[in-house]
Amino acid sequence: MSVYLDYQSAKPVDPRVIEAMLPYFHEKFGNPSSLHSVGDTATEILEESRKTIARFIGADHDEVIFTSGATESNNHALIGYALRHKDSGNHIVISEIEHISIHNIAKYLERNGFVVSKIPVDQFGRVSLEKLAERVSETTILVSVGYASDEIGTIQPISDIGKFCRERNIAFHSDIVAAEGLMPIDVNRENIDLLSMSSNDIYGPKGLGILYVRKGTRINPLIIGGGQERGLRSGTENVPAVVGMKRAVEIMQQEMSEETTRFQRYRDRLIEETLTTVPRCYLNGHPTDRLPNNAHFRFDGIEGESLLLSFKEKNIEVSTGSACSSKTLEPSHTLIALGLLHEEAHGSLEITFGRFNEDGDVDSVLEVLPGIVSRLRKLSPLYKEETKS
Amino acid sequence: MKSTQYSEKVLDHFRNPRNVGTLEGKGVAVGRVGNPVCGDLMEFYIKVKDDRIEDIKFKTFGCGSAIATASMITELAKGKTVDEALKITRQDVADELEGLPPIKMHCSNLAADALKNAIKAYKEKQEPLSKQETMAEGPKKIVGMDQFKGQGVYEEIYDLSLFKDRRVMILERGERSIELALELTKLTPRVVFVTGKKSLDASILSEKLAKSSVKILYESELLEVRGLNTVEKVLMHDMNEDEEYELFVDGVVILRNE
Repeated sequence: MSVYLDYQSAKPVDPRVIEAMLPYFHEKFGNPSSLHSVGDTATEILEESRKTIARFIGADHDEVIFTSGATESNNHALIGYALRHKDSGNHIVISEIEHISIHNIAKYLERNGFVVSKIPVDQFGRVSLEKLAERVSETTILVSVGYASDEIGTIQPISDIGKFCRERNIAFHSDIVAAEGLMPIDVNRENIDLLSMSSNDIYGPKGLGILYVRKGTRINPLIIGGGQERGLRSGTENVPAVVGMKRAVEIMQQEMSEETTRFQRYRDRLIEETLTTVPRCYLNGHPTDRLPNNAHFRFDGIEGESLLLSFKEKNIEVSTGSACSSKTLEPSHTLIALGLLHEEAHGSLEITFGRFNEDGDVDSVLEVLPGIVSRLRKLSPLYKEETKS
Repeated sequence: MKSTQYSEKVLDHFRNPRNVGTLEGKGVAVGRVGNPVCGDLMEFYIKVKDDRIEDIKFKTFGCGSAIATASMITELAKGKTVDEALKITRQDVADELEGLPPIKMHCSNLAADALKNAIKAYKEKQEPLSKQETMAEGPKKIVGMDQFKGQGVYEEIYDLSLFKDRRVMILERGERSIELALELTKLTPRVVFVTGKKSLDASILSEKLAKSSVKILYESELLEVRGLNTVEKVLMHDMNEDEEYELFVDGVVILRNE
């Protein structure tokens, strides 16, 4: 068995969630649109689930629509809102460190006549309100800032951004995927108008997410068909997955507080010991305003993919923002936005803890990390200056 | 195919790279290549005797396949004449490694190029070309410098706390600029020091700087300051690789020359 430390990329479905889902594949298989009793059973559980999930983010049940995941929710929020409001303005603001899906949706909107501005972040990855204020204008219709960075774990001042937008009558969208299940989130407290959330990131099944749409906020549908989800998202609802997400929410409500305290213990120990035992190693992201399960380092003179491979050899699964491990060979845009050079962004290591980690997993990393780093540095032409001095 | 789905042979060379290290002395030539695509870096050292590569060593900053291709090409080149070694192609390297993921083929290019550069350096030593080092070191105009003066660009610092937790770039302007860089490390974790030189003149101060958390950019120059109302990023020129790139910073200090 390998030690899995990449919960940001994917999470195992909680066995209790699987158990809750099973009856809805065969026994209670109905289509909520059907008018017979089999269909009624499906409608009931669909609406009950919607209520539970809505409550998890402080929303009303009729403000939540089910989607195929957070990427669809992001597409729907940005494109659906932009198309609906194109007569009021054509300007959209996102941050430099949004998830890649938001960046690519923004590019798509730019190709279709919209103007996109990006808010720079500080060296810890935080969006500043002043820089946001400098960017909004009369034509700004929408601001999208993720709740926390999926890479470096920095938490954004979301309620301040939400308040700023509310005062100017600009819609505010937030992708909460990186933060969901790690901290309480409330759409009213934080003035969020549109929100994307995924099921898998709270240990529910993949292939399901929600889009929260505040009452009074209007968006166009993207997927058109039989008019499900109040006409905003057609297609027969994925009832087993919805039931799974409901169960995942219930478990999370019970366990989040204990769980995040535990992650924070792992995280703090890993960060402290790594920074003290490995020379020329730095923490990326914010020292305190960071997700409780996220540790993100960079090491002078070494490259992230070879780090990742070395960990793989030791049966430890980690992640990196290195260009060599990406599909495009570009370094992580988030790390570049922090003000890092390409070579620094290359040497990054991301470790994210989750529900099924144990204290021993931190030991496993700490045991091998210094050795891996020093072996790769011996191969590196960039590290010789340091070894001489 | 995923970018990290490597053959057993690639993994073997990654785990146990052959001929790692450097060489010194007579008959040694060095070739260095940086990859503009992914930022990888390779260095090859060859020792040539009677036109034959007697010994070869390498160092690599890069991914698994960069390490493996460098290691493999040292095995292929060792013992060959320089002209034979010049004929090694990236396909030869990839084939010997039982294939590379398509997206990683450029790594074998990199290895082949670095080896070629080393051989070229060796040949140039044999027939010394009268190369002229052009030192066109006139002070260039930095675009945007006037626009952002006082808005992130400073020629004099009266209040260091201005830079608390900010990303500061300092251009080399003698000892005072080094002292300032060191002083600022107490206030912010990110200080970048830019010099056009290959290395800093030896002094107690520059030694301190090298050991500090200051990020030093050698052979670099600042071309342009960019931002909306205040400085947000700069356009840099890496003179060694002749590449331009953007870097996010909050402030730039260009002390007036005394």
